Amino acid sequence: MFTTLLISIAIINLISVFLALIMVIADATIGNYGVCSITVNAGAREFEVLGGQTLLRALNQEGIFIPSACGGRGSCGLCKVKVLEGGGEYLPTELPFIDDEERKQLVRLSCQVKVKTNVAVEIPEELFSVKEFTTTVEKIRDLTHDIKEVTLRLEDPNEISIKAGQYIQFVVPEYGDIDEEVYRAYSVASPPGDASHVELEIRLVPGGICTSYVHEHLKEGDEVTINGPYGDFFLRETDAPIIFIAGGSGMAPIKSILLDMQKQQNPRKAMYFFGARSKRDLFLLDEMKALEESIPNFTFVPALSEPLAEDNWGGEVGLITEVVGRMVEEASSSEAYLCGSPGMIDACIEVLGKLGVAEDRIFYDKF
Amino acid sequence: MANFMLPFSIFFASIFTSNILLTNYLGMCSFLSVSKELKTSLGLGAAVVFVMATTTPLNWAVYQWLLIPFGLEYLRFIVFIIVIAAFVQLTEMALERYSEGLYQSLGIFLPLITVNCAILGASLFMVIREYSLITSFFFGFGSGLGWMLAIVAMAGIRTKLKTAKVPPGLEGPGITLVIAGFMAMAFMGFSGMIAVS
Amino acid sequence: MKQTPEYDKIQAQMQKGIITLEGFLGDDSRKLVDIIAADTLTVRKHHTTHKAIAERMIHFRDLGERGLGQFITLDEHFEAKVESIRGLLPSPFGGPGMYAKVNTTVVNKTLGRQITYTDLHIHFIGDHGFYEGKGAPFRLEPEDLIEILEVGPDEEE
Repeated sequence: MFTTLLISIAIINLISVFLALIMVIADATIGNYGVCSITVNAGAREFEVLGGQTLLRALNQEGIFIPSACGGRGSCGLCKVKVLEGGGEYLPTELPFIDDEERKQLVRLSCQVKVKTNVAVEIPEELFSVKEFTTTVEKIRDLTHDIKEVTLRLEDPNEISIKAGQYIQFVVPEYGDIDEEVYRAYSVASPPGDASHVELEIRLVPGGICTSYVHEHLKEGDEVTINGPYGDFFLRETDAPIIFIAGGSGMAPIKSILLDMQKQQNPRKAMYFFGARSKRDLFLLDEMKALEESIPNFTFVPALSEPLAEDNWGGEVGLITEVVGRMVEEASSSEAYLCGSPGMIDACIEVLGKLGVAEDRIFYDKF
Repeated sequence: MANFMLPFSIFFASIFTSNILLTNYLGMCSFLSVSKELKTSLGLGAAVVFVMATTTPLNWAVYQWLLIPFGLEYLRFIVFIIVIAAFVQLTEMALERYSEGLYQSLGIFLPLITVNCAILGASLFMVIREYSLITSFFFGFGSGLGWMLAIVAMAGIRTKLKTAKVPPGLEGPGITLVIAGFMAMAFMGFSGMIAVS
Repeated sequence: MKQTPEYDKIQAQMQKGIITLEGFLGDDSRKLVDIIAADTLTVRKHHTTHKAIAERMIHFRDLGERGLGQFITLDEHFEAKVESIRGLLPSPFGGPGMYAKVNTTVVNKTLGRQITYTDLHIHFIGDHGFYEGKGAPFRLEPEDLIEILEVGPDEEE
């Protein structure tokens, strides 16, 4: 009886151990891809990584930040890179994002391609200059009831080379119910001249992962990781008069451009149209006034669509579209700089088009 | 002559007359939930065929060479499951390495197969009916094909059902079970043609 | 009712902290397929379809965009405001495409009621018939949408 018990235990153990051994061997052989080398842009950079991970991750770990808005889930299609060698076959998850022209050029979604052998990739030059920065929160200030101004002091590296109008990605660490890092993009409101600081305007979005973190948890002295800079929204070097149209979330890049204009004492005629409902939705009025005085030819035009009696509003009244129509003079030679969602930008382009602004002189930062 | 023909007759019997799903009612849970879509049914069916065709003879070997000599036949339930689980893991790893596309399309279905009772059922039937190694293989292969046939047929029917008026209350699992019953009855028509043992 | 592993994955993506802080299910303990089925029944009772509701939502968003962030008076008795924030959100349903953080607020002056929705909601409702779980802070009740936006009748194909 006892021996039967022992034998049965022994046999089950034998089988389990045997199978476990096979699993271990399989993991070490079939499941192990060893060390693979990744060559970027024909040798501009070359490094070795552990095989088995996605290309996106491998590149990120080596400090090359391929843009991704969906965290590697294969939903955004932003992480495209050209994989010249070692990419393997196209996966079904990639195909919806790759058109025929891109297929010929071997464009792949780096979040779906797994590094299993040596890989050669080609990425756009600009991505090389994107870096990750550790920063400390120097100041947090309330601009309105739902917008906070956050000033970050750069620690490592301690300077950023950025154009006025670009944005950075803010890394939200795990907190509360969030158990993985999340990236959110914010425009930089500080001027490029202040290379050791990055100032952001963060509006509280109900239910937003990053904005809730910033509005409820972030304190002065906290450490924050950011990466960037990104974006191709910046002031073109011409003499044309400038029309800025942006409200709320779009104020930050415009402010950065204006501060830069102040530093350069840019003589171009500029008007910034800011639309809101009533006085409590306006902010940074004092700063704008100061800029009006220090920039040679700049006017700030806030317009309220429904000023309350107690606002004692003496400024422009009406929809921003009407106000722009009333006040812009040399529309046909002007440049326009817009910030907002694709739909709002299209609506803006329509309004400006009717006023006579040429479409190739309209520049935008599509959210 | 009979011995030579046995594996082939068992092969056809396990697909039609003794369909492991419609006659023995094994592997119902994934059958009910996955048969909503034709493409995923095909994928799952193919995976089940592969696992069943390989684990049934594998378990035969383990049973004959390890369990019987030591008089441990009663341990077969545990041992068979362990073997099936290990085998599915190996298959996953190999697929991930050599055919990432297929691995991604099968997705969660691969590990789900481990708990499909039809797989364990096939191995247990092999023991009860005392099949030989070759017969075990054909039995496993055929049972897998039978299961696949049933789920694909059901998926086709449910696709047509989407535009039909189903009595309220029967929507979803209700009508699916009724249809499974009809399919089982239809397959009963095959019985007597060939026997499984 | 049991749902496919695919829907389980989608339901997991809808939990708190994955895409948004509060997630899309609130304290609803039902399976995703059941939530959608219940709302589909409500929509059918009002003799309309998810697509019709989504189209009305798109209609107000497109017109409201002209206000560039301020309230704009539309035809009849409506007012709409469209605001946007930088960033795109992926859909828990997977698939290609990201959705802009665009908030549309529609005021029905006759009824004296208003409702706010995002581009993600338009995708949820139009493509999947999903109005978010009961208890989710941004759940939209199909009836509210139908009444406030005055969604007309529509037949399912």
